[in-house]
Amino acid sequence: MKKYLKNYKLAFAFTIAAVFCSCETDFLEIKPQDTYSLDGFYTTNEKVANATNNLYCRVWFNFHTKAFNAIGDMAAGNTFTYSDDYLPFRTLEYQSSDAVLLDSWRSCFGTVANANTLINGLPSNVGPNVSTEVLNNTLGECHFMRALAYFYLVRLWGNVPIIEDAADFADDPNNVHSNRQDDVYTFIKNDLLKAIELLKEKVRGNNYSDNAHVSKGSAKALLAKVYLYQKDYANARLMAADVINSGEFKLYGGPELPTKTFGDLFLVSNNNNEESIMAWQWTTGNYFVGNYDNTQFAMPELSQNSYGGVVAPSQDLKLNAFIPGDLRRKETFMLPGDVYPNLTYADSPTTTALGYTTPAGALAQNSGAALKKYVVGRFNLPVTGQFDPDNRGFPQNTYIMRYADVLLIHAEATLAGGGSTSDAAALNSFNQVRARAGIPPLATITANDIFKERRSEFAIESEYWYDLGRLPYAQAKAIIEAQNRGDMNFEIHVTLNPAKTSLLFPYPTSELLKNPLLDDEPVPYTF
Amino acid sequence: MGNTLHNVTKWYAKGKTLFYLLLLCCGGIMHAQNTVTGVISDEKGMTIPGVNVSVKGTGTAVITNLDGQYSIQAADDATLVYSFIGFTPQEVAIKGKKTINVTLSEGAKTLDEVVVIGYGSQKKGDVNGSVSSIKARDIENLKQVSVDQMLQGKAAGVTVTNNSGAPGSNVSVKIRGITSLSGTNEPLYVIDGIPVSGDARNSTTSGQPIAGGNLANAGNITVSPLSLLNPNDIESIDVLKDASATAIYGSRGANGVVIITTKSGKKGTGKLYYDNSYSTQQQVTHMDVYNLRQYAVYQNALAAAYSQTPRFEFSNPELLGNGTDWQEEIFKNSALKSHQLSFSGGKEGVNYYVSGSYFDQDGTIIGSGYKRFTFKTNIDANVKTWLKVGVNINFANTSEKITLNSSADGIISTSLLSSPDVSVRDLEGNFSGPPADGTLGSFINPVASALMNTNKLKRRSYSGNFFAEFKLLKGLDFRFELGGYTESSLNKEFRPTYQWGIAVNPTATLNQREQMFYSANVKNYLTYRTTLGKHNFTLLAGQEANQGHWEGLNLTASGFVDNELQEIAVSDTKLLQYGGQYIGEQALSSYYGRVIYDFDNKYGITASWRADGSSKFAEGNKWGYFPAFSATWKLSNEAFMEGTKKYVDNIKLKFGYGETGNQQIPNNQYSSTITTSLTGIGQSYFPAGTANPNLKWETSKQTNIGIDFSLFNSALNATVEVYKKTSENFLYKTNFPLYLTGGETYEGGVSSPTANMGSMENKGIDITLNFNKKLSDNLNWSSTLVFSKYVNKVLKLDNAINRDINVNGYLSKTVTRTVEGGYVGAFLGPVYEGIYRDAAQLAGAPLNGFGADPAPFIVGDAIYRDLNGDGIVNEDDFTTIGNPNPDFTYGFTNSFNYKGVDLSVFVQGSVGNDIYNLTRRAGTLNSNNYVNQFTEASDYYSAANVNGHLPRIGSGQAHPNNFLSGRYIEDGTYLRIQNISLGYSLPTEWISKIKITKLRIYGSIQNLYTFTKYKGYDPEVGSYNQDALLSGIDNGRYPTPRTMSMGFNIEF
Repeated sequence: MKKYLKNYKLAFAFTIAAVFCSCETDFLEIKPQDTYSLDGFYTTNEKVANATNNLYCRVWFNFHTKAFNAIGDMAAGNTFTYSDDYLPFRTLEYQSSDAVLLDSWRSCFGTVANANTLINGLPSNVGPNVSTEVLNNTLGECHFMRALAYFYLVRLWGNVPIIEDAADFADDPNNVHSNRQDDVYTFIKNDLLKAIELLKEKVRGNNYSDNAHVSKGSAKALLAKVYLYQKDYANARLMAADVINSGEFKLYGGPELPTKTFGDLFLVSNNNNEESIMAWQWTTGNYFVGNYDNTQFAMPELSQNSYGGVVAPSQDLKLNAFIPGDLRRKETFMLPGDVYPNLTYADSPTTTALGYTTPAGALAQNSGAALKKYVVGRFNLPVTGQFDPDNRGFPQNTYIMRYADVLLIHAEATLAGGGSTSDAAALNSFNQVRARAGIPPLATITANDIFKERRSEFAIESEYWYDLGRLPYAQAKAIIEAQNRGDMNFEIHVTLNPAKTSLLFPYPTSELLKNPLLDDEPVPYTF
Repeated sequence: MGNTLHNVTKWYAKGKTLFYLLLLCCGGIMHAQNTVTGVISDEKGMTIPGVNVSVKGTGTAVITNLDGQYSIQAADDATLVYSFIGFTPQEVAIKGKKTINVTLSEGAKTLDEVVVIGYGSQKKGDVNGSVSSIKARDIENLKQVSVDQMLQGKAAGVTVTNNSGAPGSNVSVKIRGITSLSGTNEPLYVIDGIPVSGDARNSTTSGQPIAGGNLANAGNITVSPLSLLNPNDIESIDVLKDASATAIYGSRGANGVVIITTKSGKKGTGKLYYDNSYSTQQQVTHMDVYNLRQYAVYQNALAAAYSQTPRFEFSNPELLGNGTDWQEEIFKNSALKSHQLSFSGGKEGVNYYVSGSYFDQDGTIIGSGYKRFTFKTNIDANVKTWLKVGVNINFANTSEKITLNSSADGIISTSLLSSPDVSVRDLEGNFSGPPADGTLGSFINPVASALMNTNKLKRRSYSGNFFAEFKLLKGLDFRFELGGYTESSLNKEFRPTYQWGIAVNPTATLNQREQMFYSANVKNYLTYRTTLGKHNFTLLAGQEANQGHWEGLNLTASGFVDNELQEIAVSDTKLLQYGGQYIGEQALSSYYGRVIYDFDNKYGITASWRADGSSKFAEGNKWGYFPAFSATWKLSNEAFMEGTKKYVDNIKLKFGYGETGNQQIPNNQYSSTITTSLTGIGQSYFPAGTANPNLKWETSKQTNIGIDFSLFNSALNATVEVYKKTSENFLYKTNFPLYLTGGETYEGGVSSPTANMGSMENKGIDITLNFNKKLSDNLNWSSTLVFSKYVNKVLKLDNAINRDINVNGYLSKTVTRTVEGGYVGAFLGPVYEGIYRDAAQLAGAPLNGFGADPAPFIVGDAIYRDLNGDGIVNEDDFTTIGNPNPDFTYGFTNSFNYKGVDLSVFVQGSVGNDIYNLTRRAGTLNSNNYVNQFTEASDYYSAANVNGHLPRIGSGQAHPNNFLSGRYIEDGTYLRIQNISLGYSLPTEWISKIKITKLRIYGSIQNLYTFTKYKGYDPEVGSYNQDALLSGIDNGRYPTPRTMSMGFNIEF
């Protein structure tokens, strides 16, 4: 009896143990449940094509949200602020630890890192049903984006490390040298040539959503610009002419699209129009994917925020950038009395009204004006597109390159560093841009004409700083020091440090702390 | 016959009768001697059943009955020994007395006390590893929401900081230093056998905070995972500290293990226990900021310095009133109500404990508060002689209102900076704000913000643990446990439309976050105890499996009809936004064994081994193996020590070494996954982050050496332990330079991998002194001093880890930098050396190297040390300027009992830690118009005030004068009278007439007074959202209130 009882106890105990003991071999194998594993994911053309969407949006966010304007326009003297986060760029008293510099660095290298991941990983991970054409086009976009990121990096810092695969450095991440500026340019050109080879041809039509992704023509246009920065005028002219002759892009409000205007370029509904060569594609629903220009630029009554007009036009832009009659002036910044039928503004906190008349007064930042370009007004679905009430962003594209740029590159490349030109093709390109702006054509053009034209055309599009950077340093310095960097009441001038020899920026402090080698003599890149 | 049997059964059913029957039997076989009777009670006058009463030197012994009475036969000259677990034994010589009533004193941590050691328990005197025990009585007077707060100052080696004074907020508990840089540093809590992580950040599960969008700039929003447990239900807390003790919890023991055992029923008649207390809480400290008159004077001076026209309305400051005192407006005295009802008892092998509690704490800052209901059932029963089963069930429901704090735009920060010339409400009674034209600044009315911008969190948790214990053979037990824990939370953060002067919000939004977590736990283990002569063995072998699952969904709604109803149902659902979904699962599978060996009560050895498999690693790296060994030598039990016993007794030497593991990393770090992002051209699916297939277990190796001894006839018991803990193959999220990653995946980069790439060390000493003295027949004194010291050092770390803090709502500044060779969370900045007060000082001064084209320093500027001696001060001269880690912390508890009166005084403190006082920085910036400041702000350097303690004004916020620097580092040393309680238990003789066994009324004051030189509200700053790398940074922390309570407990 006792023995039986013992066995019974044992049996009972061990039955329980056996039932509940999780000895299954796969107990510790847990697959991700809210996402896919990379392994076996890229099975269709659609999935592969979607992989690059990210490269048009989130990867550029940190660069765009503040730095894009702080450097491209505020440091260049086009915009003005009293706000602490931008201020060092208005006064050019930024520190190497400044968040704006770090954000630019972070974002451009983030683009490189994401492009690298796809370039290195995608070909071996796509399924048999994915067409070569789709895969190639996707890889072509990655090469394009990597080139674009390095193009910003080389213009901001000169010598930077060229990274093709972060895994090469994973064991010793701090042992990386900067590469020589020339090699960075070579790397960019190689990437763009590769992109031209891989990307599809396109013609930009009126189905705008089809235009969003870059094409062979986009890569050519960007390559023309890179050649121009390198003063390789022959190639720049060839590339620009190639893009012009292809007919892929059209000037919005130019001879082929006469019903449109320069101002229409900056309506959300015209994202990815015929003039857009490459644009960042913002959206809503998350902080890191939205466009915050309206938040930063718009007057309070035109924005969803209680603050507003954080960034204002500079006095120099207000007074010196446009000749009388230039239609672009009103589309770039507002002066008292300007009327904007498309802008929605607030009557009270809860209602919006269409049609905005700029009031008199100090306006944004005591500048006597307020920015207009990239201001879309208070949320109004047909005008502004969907709005993100939580994060307060808008889905408005940011132009990185538009067709007007190609036309001006073409003119400048034809001038080829000379005193002036009356070349018919150059004049044609140049005067198309002027014609749309409603100002008279020129019969001969000088480098200074083009420089000024570029400023009027691309103000608030983060071009002016880089255009200044292309000038001989002494000339750029003189231009900057002559600018009034104060508000409408107080004139302020900056003096650049006599020790400086270029407009390039110092490496971010936190990166140097991790890797002091960055600051060493740059090394040649082994291609 | 049948009737007789019936009667016998009835007799048996009546425990009391049986008891007397037994007594009768005992008496029958004894020699005819005198009968001594008496009642045994505790210090509070409660009678104690089950006390062992024996005649010294004989085998005669009885136990007290349910009313604490005994009756024993003994010779007139004999001595009676009274002993009971948890009480100091007492000896009384009979000397012919017929009645001997004895009061046994509790509180003595006697060596017979039982300590829970994980998968078993041991007598305290026999424990070989390092364990600190806390009993219910040690914490019963503390009016705290959650048990983790109560550990403060109660256990050596345990450093506890309240990270916020907000009701229900999180606490940092560090057992023997800081062990992790990226995961959690919180210990594993095992509550009635159910593992619960102390990680308020969910860093190894969903990674999502439950009450906010993110942890970086949402203020202090994490809530205590332990606040769901009603502290009144706790019987004992055992903190396993050294590796030899925690290794049996292998995988999850690296940060230490806290075993919490809840109350269970005891054999005897049922008891009904009710506790009610009412407290009022208040904020004691206010900062000195300008009132309106002072503000006007100050603003006039500022206008002069900035060459502006002074404000007309401030032309005669003396004619003005006080203006708005924003601190007065946001602080309030508030109530805390607590009710607890429990029933317990045991009959016929069935023991039960059931309780319910209600806790309602209103915050001392408007718009914050915490409410909790809990229900608890613990039942165990002897089903057969060989089978015991039981269940512990807990349910808790909490709801809390969280106010924005520990943030530059939080309520505390903004209330200090809001100017006194703006009223809280306008003439119509609506909230106002600075006027829209910007003439009075642009702050958001903090009162309106606190009351209207709401963040509500509701949590519900269920936990249950079922066990069955089999006595298989003599000495061999098998125990099976099945436990589950589930918690769900619903968070609603609402921002209404408003127009408070210049502050306008045209679009109301509701962020709704729902989360769910559950874990299931199975244990099977065998215990075998045997004694062979003087050799005692306890062998353990077992298996355990744990699985956790979490899910969550975030939504944002807008387009509300009005601010009244704040639900998605009345929003414009076309505008409903998806904010992310996450699902994940993790699993652990473990096998373990342990041998406890004792020889002759002199030499003890514990050896354990555990193997853990984790789903966090790839095949081949899943398993980690964790051995541990410890040995003790009870020196005083040696014959040759007999002579020293009267001086020093119970000497025990301890040595332990053990390894524990850490796998607390997020999921999928070893494999490549796809992540998604919204973009303007559609959803994108792309590879996420950088996978590291070589990831493996982190190992923490710890050596512990200690000594226990007692002096003065066991009146003073001491434990001193030193330890060294080294984490190897340290698991952390690497911090690759941005040129390789571009930052985190969420911000557009490719996150750097998690890797085993560093090592860290903590060395320290823990001391516990315990003193018990019966000062007279009726007066007992017991005192406990705990002392904890650790020194943290990062031995290997590839890249410095920076942590930033938002200093004004949109500007981030690096506040801490953790580097190899340094310690965790070191404050960063330039060394501040005063102010240039004359031209001579400036002559040899280093140049200003901040910025691209900096203005030279002038008189009145801050002096920063040129650390590298290159003649220029710039960011190269930034260094470690403060240490948030204390030199040591301590707690000192004193209890006195005199008849029915009990008094306890608990002081606690921290020595040598620094605080980065960003609140004070914001309050002394002198850089902006329309911003209120601390009254000390006007003492700035000027030609008229060359001794001013602040740099000159007029330099702006971006000027080096206003950098985060050593200027804002303050000594955080404090001594706090944490609790004083006075209780009175009515004499048993009175209350027994109305069938009450105990009635105690008490009053207590929590956080009575703090001695400190710290200039902020509260020197106990803690960590921002439990992040060890952001410790000691006061950026508008919610100060801990003073709580005065009155209450009573009653037992039937």
